[in-house]
Amino acid sequence: MKKALVLGTVTMAAAMVMSTFAFADDYKIAVVPKMTNIGWFQRMEEGVNEYNEENGTDYVYRGSAEGADQAGIVEQMLAEDWDAICVVPFDSESLAPVLEKARDQGIVVITHEAASMDPKYFDYDIEAFVNADYGTHFAEAISDFTGGEGKYIQFVGSLNSVSHNEWCDAADAYFEENTKMEKIGRYETGDDTTSSYNQTKELLQANPDIAAIEGSASTDIVGAAQAVDELGLSGKIAVIGTSLTSIAGDYVNKDVIQTFSVWDPAKAGQAMIELAKYVLDNDGAAPEELPVDGYDTLTADNTVLYGNARVDVTKENMADYDF
Amino acid sequence: MNNERRVSLALTSTPMILIYVMVVFCVIAAIRQPAFLSPATLINLCRAGIFTMCFAICEMVVIISGGIDVSFPAIGCVAMYVPMYMYNNGMGVDSVFFFFGVAILIGLAFGILNGVLVAILKLPPLIATLATSSVASGGLIMLLGTREFTTLPPSLDWLYSINLLTYTDPATGFKYPLTILFLVPVILCIVVALVLRYTMLGRGLYAIGGDKNAARVAGFNVKKLQFTAYIFCSVMASATAMMYTTLMHSSTTTALMGEEMIIIAACVVGGCRLTGGHGSVGGTILGVLLITLVQNNLNMLGVPTSWQIFAVGLVLLLGAVLSSIQAKRIEKLGKI
Repeated sequence: MKKALVLGTVTMAAAMVMSTFAFADDYKIAVVPKMTNIGWFQRMEEGVNEYNEENGTDYVYRGSAEGADQAGIVEQMLAEDWDAICVVPFDSESLAPVLEKARDQGIVVITHEAASMDPKYFDYDIEAFVNADYGTHFAEAISDFTGGEGKYIQFVGSLNSVSHNEWCDAADAYFEENTKMEKIGRYETGDDTTSSYNQTKELLQANPDIAAIEGSASTDIVGAAQAVDELGLSGKIAVIGTSLTSIAGDYVNKDVIQTFSVWDPAKAGQAMIELAKYVLDNDGAAPEELPVDGYDTLTADNTVLYGNARVDVTKENMADYDF
Repeated sequence: MNNERRVSLALTSTPMILIYVMVVFCVIAAIRQPAFLSPATLINLCRAGIFTMCFAICEMVVIISGGIDVSFPAIGCVAMYVPMYMYNNGMGVDSVFFFFGVAILIGLAFGILNGVLVAILKLPPLIATLATSSVASGGLIMLLGTREFTTLPPSLDWLYSINLLTYTDPATGFKYPLTILFLVPVILCIVVALVLRYTMLGRGLYAIGGDKNAARVAGFNVKKLQFTAYIFCSVMASATAMMYTTLMHSSTTTALMGEEMIIIAACVVGGCRLTGGHGSVGGTILGVLLITLVQNNLNMLGVPTSWQIFAVGLVLLLGAVLSSIQAKRIEKLGKI
């Protein structure tokens, strides 16, 4: 936290000095995260700061601590003459009318993690990847480990989560087509480590032949890994899914989790900025590529753009994705 | 005649009804899933119930005294987060005593705050503890930010690795360890039960929960007793939160949030009355057992995930209705 603050101050100072020399780029662009108080969006802030440092810009990163008043913050910004606002919606319902107002004022609106929102509320939405591809990857990684045989269970943060279910559906389809793996069920964890821990123990007791556990919320495989570790099953069961080095790192080192995937919020922040600049430069046209890792080729579905920004983290490359 | 009546009363008492419900649940579970009938189920149940049991005893004491405390999850989060934050920023020593000590001091501070709000300023307990909850969790995020500590310091890791026993399933070879921290709720239940039953302090808590004025006239120090209840609740909840960090390898600013309702429900199902003055350790144990049993074995029963919250709600409703009917019946009996 302190480090981030110092870093932030240094970058801001640097940006202020540099902006006096940089005349070419005078767009006023803001990045508004869902919330600022979690590691994920602190990483996004680092990405924005890094971008400013490298390009001599002073784009703004501003959000509410817990997210609940995000719509209010964006609404206040409408009076401040922005060229583009890049936002990761916290509650899309309350944010939608504000975004509509912004677009009416001629502000370019770029969103992230908002593919399910009505496209009239944004100019472009940029996603890290196509959800189905992401889910298929997990199925492939699991099949590699199990040899394509055995039973598997899936955890989702919420049974209503669109993305989590799309990932799991794609994995199901892959298993069905390419392997002999058999699904026991899909279970809800409420993004709670304790829940995935207890459910993993329960499900393994009832089905000792489970060969693989796929997690969706970042805490899912962490709880599952602890259960697997305590039961003495490390390395015998595939534990694979979405997570973060900061919470899953220990279990990767202990070989309980073979690999997990994630997308880098720092890159997502930079991609939103690049996208906003491109749209402003080109009168609303969509780019086919952006100069950001993972977004160098884009697949478009109307105004939703998909990158290829999945990062697969293993013991070997964990140090590079330390967030 | 009298004897017969006593037996029939005992057989239809709240605790017995809870036991019947649990037995029926277990029989159904065992029929649907033979793996249920294993010592592993018991160990999983004991392990999963540790936090719920400790929290429920904390809440029960406050409810008996005629109050309610919805702030313990937030206080617990502060108590688990601050010591880990200090340790990770080079401000702590790596010792079990340090982690639990700081947690308990934090609990003490918030317990005193709750006591002042309820006993001296006479705020309604629900509002007072709701305010404490917001102050605790908001203040924590404002001052220390939100991180997630998932690597245990060596001393807590040592504590985590001590097990009372480990059951190895002969069929599968799976190991089911039971942590030594399971002794905490066991000892807590025994001590609280003895205090409530045999000490002036315990009788006083029931007395002020039943009727504050009558208790005052009878010579009880109402303020002191209220302070005791809220401080006990916060301190014990804070220690439990540190146990959570130890056992779940996780310390966050939100880990326990939202627990309060299910804990209060466990107390009510176990025979505590929200109006105060009623409740027992035995009943609360049964309430916690029922909730833990149901929460942790619905997958085993094959209840689809989408139905599980509904099923837990149904069991709670059943428990609450039964104990309320029971309360009415006893009242009527008294009048005869």
